[in-house]
Amino acid sequence: MPVTENIYEPVKAKLTNIIDESPLIKTLVLVPEKEFSFKTGEFIELTLNGIGEAPFTPSSSPLVKDKLEITVMKAGYVTGKIHQLNIGDVVGIRGPFGKGYPLEKFYGKEVLIVGGGCGFAPIRSLLYKLIAEKEKFKKVIFCYGSKTPKDCIYKTLFKELRNIEKFQVLRSVDMADEPWDETIGVVTVLLDQIKIDINNSLAIVCGPPIMMKFGTIRLLEMGYRETDIYLSMEKNMSCGLGKCGHCMLGDYLVCKDGPVFTYNEIKGLPDIWR
Amino acid sequence: MTQYYLISKENWDKILNELLGKYDVYAPVAAEDNQDYRFILQDDIHQIIYNTPKPATPLKIFFLPVKENVVKKSASENPRLIIGSPSCDLAGLDLLDKIYLEEPFVDKFYQQRRENTILVGTSCFSTLEHCHCSSYGIKPFPEKNHDISLSVLDGQVTLQINSDKGKNFFNEINHNNSFGEAEKQELEKIDTLRVSVTKELSKTNQGLPDYSKTGELIKDTKKDIWEKYAKTCVSCGACASICPTCTCFLLIDRPGFEKIRQLDGCQYPGFEQVAAGEDPLEERFVRFRNRYLCKYVWKPEKYESIACTGCGRCIEACIGNINKNELFRELLT
Ligand SMILES: Cc1cc2nc3c(=O)[nH]c(=O)nc-3n(C[C@H](O)[C@H](O)[C@H](O)COP(=O)(O)OP(=O)(O)OC[C@H]3O[C@@H](n4cnc5c(N)ncnc54)[C@H](O)[C@@H]3O)c2cc1C
Ligand code: SF4
Ligand code: SF4
Ligand code: SF4
Ligand code: FES
Repeated sequence: MPVTENIYEPVKAKLTNIIDESPLIKTLVLVPEKEFSFKTGEFIELTLNGIGEAPFTPSSSPLVKDKLEITVMKAGYVTGKIHQLNIGDVVGIRGPFGKGYPLEKFYGKEVLIVGGGCGFAPIRSLLYKLIAEKEKFKKVIFCYGSKTPKDCIYKTLFKELRNIEKFQVLRSVDMADEPWDETIGVVTVLLDQIKIDINNSLAIVCGPPIMMKFGTIRLLEMGYRETDIYLSMEKNMSCGLGKCGHCMLGDYLVCKDGPVFTYNEIKGLPDIWR
Repeated sequence: MTQYYLISKENWDKILNELLGKYDVYAPVAAEDNQDYRFILQDDIHQIIYNTPKPATPLKIFFLPVKENVVKKSASENPRLIIGSPSCDLAGLDLLDKIYLEEPFVDKFYQQRRENTILVGTSCFSTLEHCHCSSYGIKPFPEKNHDISLSVLDGQVTLQINSDKGKNFFNEINHNNSFGEAEKQELEKIDTLRVSVTKELSKTNQGLPDYSKTGELIKDTKKDIWEKYAKTCVSCGACASICPTCTCFLLIDRPGFEKIRQLDGCQYPGFEQVAAGEDPLEERFVRFRNRYLCKYVWKPEKYESIACTGCGRCIEACIGNINKNELFRELLT
């Protein structure tokens, strides 16, 4: 449910911390004026006063209610301005919007997560949730790819994850320009290294379009059913709540019906990888 | 239960005159080269034209202004009386209602205006060149989304009350019983005209596919046809701005965390552009095709509602002279 009565009006939130994750990626810690809760996979619209608005998926745990974190890659105008924010600045938040991950459907299964670049942001939130409920899942395998070791974000989280029972983490970089003792190559090569019971598994893919495309192709080759591949679609957005039409993907509005879709739901639509 | 009432045109004008103080009244008036809604002042009452086909401005503009500050609360608006909306535009409100009143994200601005407005629809006693409502199952007289339907014939005004709101409004204007009940013969005259306009429409629009077929036709249309028709498209967006069922917008930020909701359209370059310059609608023919897919395939599937009312405004407005009905005729051959 939206927190303001006027769907277009943001709730103010104070920026209490900024964490540099990589040269292009920062995490902002936000404390909203009103209680703000979300389900993992839902997104928010972040307003910079008088400047612009852009959608982001909280990267923090949905179980934490008094603050939320978003992880932002500098990609253009608004994200560029977000990177110039200082601790203490006030921003606006609308949402939460969209549908979260259908976690109940994952119970008892082997969860495969494939992420790249800033696609790690929503995945981190998901991982927190999976950790909190780990008895409900058979196992969790996380394959993460970044361009170079420097671009790999949430570095301390990896150590944590590797100590959690049932969790397996694999990392790759496209190019190692500093010492790197894990895989080198695009993230899909990690899929050749995993052991997973595909018939009792589902795959979640979140990352740049090119990674989603080749990730999906590889998962289908491995034998994943189209209904078991969950993709986060990135579209232009304005309202975030199913009215403005900017995020149309065939007869879906990504902000309202997504942003997560199964490959089966969208495979017939034109230009899904653009 | 619909009810029919009759009053002389002279007395109707007097009633309108009294209403001007209480309502913001809009009605179509003839201009040199078109007919369009005007904010009615005392002197305009005699100039109102009745039973004419579509005004130049689509009805949506009364509920979704081109530009509006949707954060800073505006003073609440006067109740409005909109006279002379044709059936096509009224039918188009189905889709607007579904989008803007959808729970949980109800647009209060739209909702308030819908509640605040009395819609007096009109039967079209004539048509304009590109009118093709009847091809899409819409009659040239109001059937839905209005409170009162009005016809003027032989110096007599007939009102047909079609909603509770219309009933209350009627009671308000009939406080000294100036209306009589309409007789069978008046209603028959109106019916005769309705039938003849319907016939005229089916004649002029012979060979156009109906709305149950347009979706399949558009889905199957190949790239070369799209390229051919998009050739003279200059992405001006007129087709979308003038369309009673195009409702897309952009939120623009202003200081003070204010936002302006400005009507937008998929025909403008950059509508779907995302970071790094990627744009699914980059190519002109893809952008052009998007409008057809939206209106005839996706919107009907998503909202189970018509997304083209056959008003023909997009054909008139197109500076590239692109006629969607020519496209449909070609698709049928
Ligand atoms: C559901 C969802 C979740 C996302 N989650 C994340 C996340 O967690 N982390 C992350 O880093 N990224 C995320 N993104 C991507 C992020 O929203 C984009 O990178 C961001 O919108 C880019 O905006 P920009 O202005 O910096 O880029 P630009 O390239 O400058 O603009 C991109 C587009 O946004 C529009 N736009 C930009 N500025 C304006 C303006 N001032 N006025 C009007 N329109 C404008 C334009 O249409 C432009 O084409 C997510 C996207 C979606 C859809
Ligand atoms: S399209 Fe039909 S309803 Fe609309 S103005 Fe023309 S005749 Fe009237
Ligand atoms: S697409 Fe054209 S004919 Fe159809 S409703 Fe819109 S403006 Fe009218
Ligand atoms: S045709 Fe284009 S402008 Fe009109 S409603 Fe559809 S997406 Fe919006
Ligand atoms: S972002 Fe406005 S409809 Fe999806």
